[in-house]
Amino acid sequence: MPQVITADAELNCIGIYCPGPIAMTRDKIDTMSTGQVLKVDTDDPSAEEDLPRWAKRTGHEVMNIEKSGATMTFYIRRVK
Amino acid sequence: MAKILYVLTNGPDTPERLYAPFILGSTARAMDVEASIFFVIKGIMVMKKGVAETIKIGAFPSLKDVIDQAASAGVKFYVCEQSTQLLGIPRGDFIDAAKISGAATLNDLALDADAVLTF
Repeated sequence: MPQVITADAELNCIGIYCPGPIAMTRDKIDTMSTGQVLKVDTDDPSAEEDLPRWAKRTGHEVMNIEKSGATMTFYIRRVK
Repeated sequence: MAKILYVLTNGPDTPERLYAPFILGSTARAMDVEASIFFVIKGIMVMKKGVAETIKIGAFPSLKDVIDQAASAGVKFYVCEQSTQLLGIPRGDFIDAAKISGAATLNDLALDADAVLTF
């Protein structure tokens, strides 16, 4: 059974390209509490490489990445 | 393992500038050094399918051969796809070895590398 992740907030970055999804994710997660999960939908192919690197640098956790066609959905937990 | 990042900003209009990152990258791998090349601005053109085959200077092999050699040696290729918008050309259609990435990846690779060389 796949892990079911419940998001506390969602961010729609469809149609927005680098560096938009990074900046939007940063702004959104800054408004959230430690431990909460942000769901990010993006069709920017750069995000697959960029978002995990951003998360590692900023100390947040990419819990899961789902792919459906050109769309990727990231579940990112605010760690600090 | 030591890491070197090469950044290629030039394109097919200056073919003499395109060989060095691949040759240096292949050599780095032979030296047990991790090597990555980030393609940005005009540099992305050499990762477009069919472009490298058209570039050859003097007695040097074609750029395609040098790229294939670097890929086989384990040099990693990262392409700033957003540069297509800067250049006003279609997105995508990059060679299979090229990983599409962006600003966060270039910053991260530069911070991780022991040296960054720009061409």
